[in-house]
Amino acid sequence: MITITDLEKYYATEEVRTIALNKLSFKVKEGEFVAVMGPSGCGKSTLLNILGLLDDPDGGSFVFNGIEVAGFNERKRADLRKHNIGFVFQSFNLIDELTVFENVELPLIYTGVKPAERKVRVDAVLEKMQIMHRRKHFPQQLSGGQQQRVAVARAVVNNPKLILADEPTGNLDSSNGNEVMDLLTELNEAGTTIIMVTHSEHDAKYSHRIIRMLDGQKVTENVLAEFKSV
Amino acid sequence: MIKNYFKIAIRNLWRHRGYSVLNIGGLAIGMTAGFLVLLYVGFEMSYDSFHSKADRLYRLSTDIKTPSDKYETPVVDWNILSELESEFPEIEMSTLVMGTDIDVKVGNENYTENRSLAAGAALFQMFDFKLLEGHSKTALSAPLSIVLDKTTAAKYFGDGNAMGKTLKIMDGKYSVTVTGVMDDMPNNSMVKGNIILSISTYTEVIDPTLKDSWANFENLGFVLLNPETDANVLEAKFKPYVEKIHGEQMKSSNMQLAYFLEPIQDIYLYSDRGSTPQITNIYIFSIVGLFILLIAAINFINLTTARSVERAKEVGIRKVIGAQKGQLAFQFLGESLIICLFAFLIAVGLSMLALPYFNELAGKVVATSIFAKPLYILSLLAISVFIAIVAGAYPALVLSSFKAVKVLKGKFSRSSKGILLRKGLVVLQFSISVILIIGTFVIYSQTYFMQHQDLGFSKEQLLILPTNNQNGQEEMQKALASNPDILSMSTSSSVPGGGGEWQTALSVLENNMGQDQSLTLNRFNIDENYIPQFDIKLLAGRNFSKQFASDSTEAMILNEKAIKLLGFADPADAIGKSFEQWDKKGTVIGVIKDFHIQSLQEEIMPLSMVMGSGDNKLLNLKVSTQNLGKTLGFIKKYWQEYFPNKSFDYFFMDAFFNQQYKSEERFASLFLNFALLAIFISCLGLLGLASYSTLQRRREIGIRKILGSSAFGIVHLLSADFLKLVAIAILIASPIAWYGMHSWLQDFAYRIDIPWWIFLVAGILAIGIALVTISFQAIKAAIANPVKSLRTE
Ligand SMILES: Nc1ncnc2c1ncn2[C@@H]1O[C@H](COP(=O)(O)OP(=O)(O)OP(=O)(O)O)[C@@H](O)[C@H]1O
Ligand SMILES: [Mg+2]
Repeated sequence: MITITDLEKYYATEEVRTIALNKLSFKVKEGEFVAVMGPSGCGKSTLLNILGLLDDPDGGSFVFNGIEVAGFNERKRADLRKHNIGFVFQSFNLIDELTVFENVELPLIYTGVKPAERKVRVDAVLEKMQIMHRRKHFPQQLSGGQQQRVAVARAVVNNPKLILADEPTGNLDSSNGNEVMDLLTELNEAGTTIIMVTHSEHDAKYSHRIIRMLDGQKVTENVLAEFKSV
Repeated sequence: MIKNYFKIAIRNLWRHRGYSVLNIGGLAIGMTAGFLVLLYVGFEMSYDSFHSKADRLYRLSTDIKTPSDKYETPVVDWNILSELESEFPEIEMSTLVMGTDIDVKVGNENYTENRSLAAGAALFQMFDFKLLEGHSKTALSAPLSIVLDKTTAAKYFGDGNAMGKTLKIMDGKYSVTVTGVMDDMPNNSMVKGNIILSISTYTEVIDPTLKDSWANFENLGFVLLNPETDANVLEAKFKPYVEKIHGEQMKSSNMQLAYFLEPIQDIYLYSDRGSTPQITNIYIFSIVGLFILLIAAINFINLTTARSVERAKEVGIRKVIGAQKGQLAFQFLGESLIICLFAFLIAVGLSMLALPYFNELAGKVVATSIFAKPLYILSLLAISVFIAIVAGAYPALVLSSFKAVKVLKGKFSRSSKGILLRKGLVVLQFSISVILIIGTFVIYSQTYFMQHQDLGFSKEQLLILPTNNQNGQEEMQKALASNPDILSMSTSSSVPGGGGEWQTALSVLENNMGQDQSLTLNRFNIDENYIPQFDIKLLAGRNFSKQFASDSTEAMILNEKAIKLLGFADPADAIGKSFEQWDKKGTVIGVIKDFHIQSLQEEIMPLSMVMGSGDNKLLNLKVSTQNLGKTLGFIKKYWQEYFPNKSFDYFFMDAFFNQQYKSEERFASLFLNFALLAIFISCLGLLGLASYSTLQRRREIGIRKILGSSAFGIVHLLSADFLKLVAIAILIASPIAWYGMHSWLQDFAYRIDIPWWIFLVAGILAIGIALVTISFQAIKAAIANPVKSLRTE
């Protein structure tokens, strides 16, 4: 599903030129659950942003579903993104002015789903994430775990093929964290590809494969579980 | 999607209620001011445009050229209109219009109608004045016919039964019949009166010699041209024709007459014949109105862009989820539109409430209802939408192009471009405010100057009675003399400030070279008591005196201005020189010091005074300030006894003279009100920005305080930036204001020099106001507990 080859990304500030990704290459198959680990500043978030079409690489190739997307303009990226990719962030990133229901509904609005169908689909997802009773609340009225469940609900409501999660449990206590990890595993078992950045070996164990990075490069790969291509 | 945007917008407004109030409130107040100015300007521009034949209606006016002077007058003589109409088929119809006072007696009630007209039969066919009863073709044709407006008809006879009734006019001398009742004439009409007498009453009954008179300029003349006529072409034909029929008369009287056609719709705005063209005032108010709208719009833009940074996170999230740039831009524009429409609704409400006060302030009924002209409301709506788009454009463009990655990382800086833009706009806002402050100061100083300048005569304690010199006046004067509170009495044709009858006379006087020089002089008929009573200084020679019988036919007194035109350096040299003026011929017996017979807006003109020969229609009384009420009662009693057909009428000289400054006063107070509004709205904006920047620097302030900064240090930190902007604004505004007010002052013959301290005071005022506004926020931040502000970050 994803093939990156010699991917490069630089950040140029006044004096220093940081190499955030240095000729990084790997593949992710459809249906796989991959964890990305590495010390702080090694380029994990940068990688995820590029994979999520939020940012453009400075070199190398990025093939998504058989299409070369490096060099796509913003419009095309946004289009591809809203139909195929869901995001979960460490800091939840919910819109404070919208209720739980409205936050989850938002991606469907942008993909042009009709109101009646939106209601059915949002309700179904909220049910699945067990936050149906909170649908009229605003984000500030929820606990961290609940907020992250809303964020996951929002990431999956469009049935994306790929979910990118950047330290999804980073702001949660362990029991809330485990709940979120269970949710991601369920989604993966249902066929969604997941790429997750994490600092926690515990969370990484939920994945099929761990890619370890250092200074923008891949150092090792541990295969934890047999993954059968679908 | 729209619903979603709407929801977000409303919730955002509610969550930041304080900003919303500043934002929407400021905008609504600005729009209200802008709208009222629009109504005012619209009203002023609409003068005489309501006539269906307005594009064919012209005023005929006369240029009178004498050997010494040229007068551009708005008037015509009694017969030129009918002469031109019979000669030129291009003229379809014409009418004279005379403005006058008519006293009216209905039963036993006396009324003085100050706004009376006399006009020809064509009036109701040429102009769209609506006749409710009577025939438009004939109502004004017969002598001794009168048309009343609805209000006056009801005042005299009750509703609906005025037609065919008779009234007595002019001290009961004539009986006239009501031949028509018309709608009250519109406020935006130059031809305006409560009653209209047929002008044939004058030419057939009152003074039949008028029909043969020439160059007796008293009336306005209007013509209706045929649809195909080019007014310029027609105008050019007048000269040879007038030369042909009046050439001899013009030559023998040393007077050249030229006739011009002024389009009726342009007169109020552009004509300086006998009136001040209003277009300058309209420009000034349009600019002030635009200024205020601009200030309000700037507030809105500044607060919106300042706050937009807070919206960055939302933008980032929406982008991650799949929003296109265009969709986001649309969302921000939509929000801006919602706010502006909200402000629009409030502005409509405010305008409704403010309209009566505004009409009062403007001194005329600018509009009876704000919905009277739907076009204006629509214009305001269009303006709101325009502001919404301009104000929404910045956040729409900037925010929607934020990089989602950076925004979500909290990495975007406070864009320095945005800050610069905001600073620039604040400078612009305060520049405008300072200009308006300086303008207000100058206008008030000039008005004060005009009212307190020494006029060269004393206008205090003078009671003027327009007696019209009727039978019984002498007896009444004798009776009044018995009252010790009446200190002196005089009679005259005229008093300063335009009271009584004003005449100018072409005169021939001997100049310092011993030659006869033609000169047009103002002419006052007075008696021997007038000069001492008005405290006018004699520079040379003597006053009129009863002891010299010849004074009433052979003596003249001149002012300094007149003798300077004759070339005399020393007033004494002018004494004994010969003069000829109308029926009088004799010598100059006295020279008086110049005094202002008109407002200080006008240059002092050469003036001649002659001793009245029975046509002094004003009785002037100097009265003691004590027992004024009793004295008035005393005078009234005798008035009613000697003039039973005339309503008691009087005015005080000082108030009458100052009435000339009414339009300046009105201008000043309108200007003051708009200046205050401008400053208020600017301060609302400053308050918003200051509180916003304080909020943004909350963390910095907390850390500084923990590190030991004093509260004063914090206030200084927060205020200094803004005060710098205000200081720049003062520097920019001062020369502009100086230039603008300097040009404005040129319209006044006697004017102040703009004092330098006005700029200083305006500057201090602006800084003071800004400081109070800002420090309100800064002090709050400075005394807040730093631990709290750090924790909330
Ligand atoms: N916008 C930017 N400008 C300059 N340098 C950047 C920018 N974003 C990231 N970097 C640099 O690129 C490198 C990789 O950053 P990245 O955020 O990908 O690290 P990370 O692995 O996600 O770290 P962490 O585990 O702390 O989140 C770092 O050295 C960082 O300083
Ligand atoms: Mg990271």
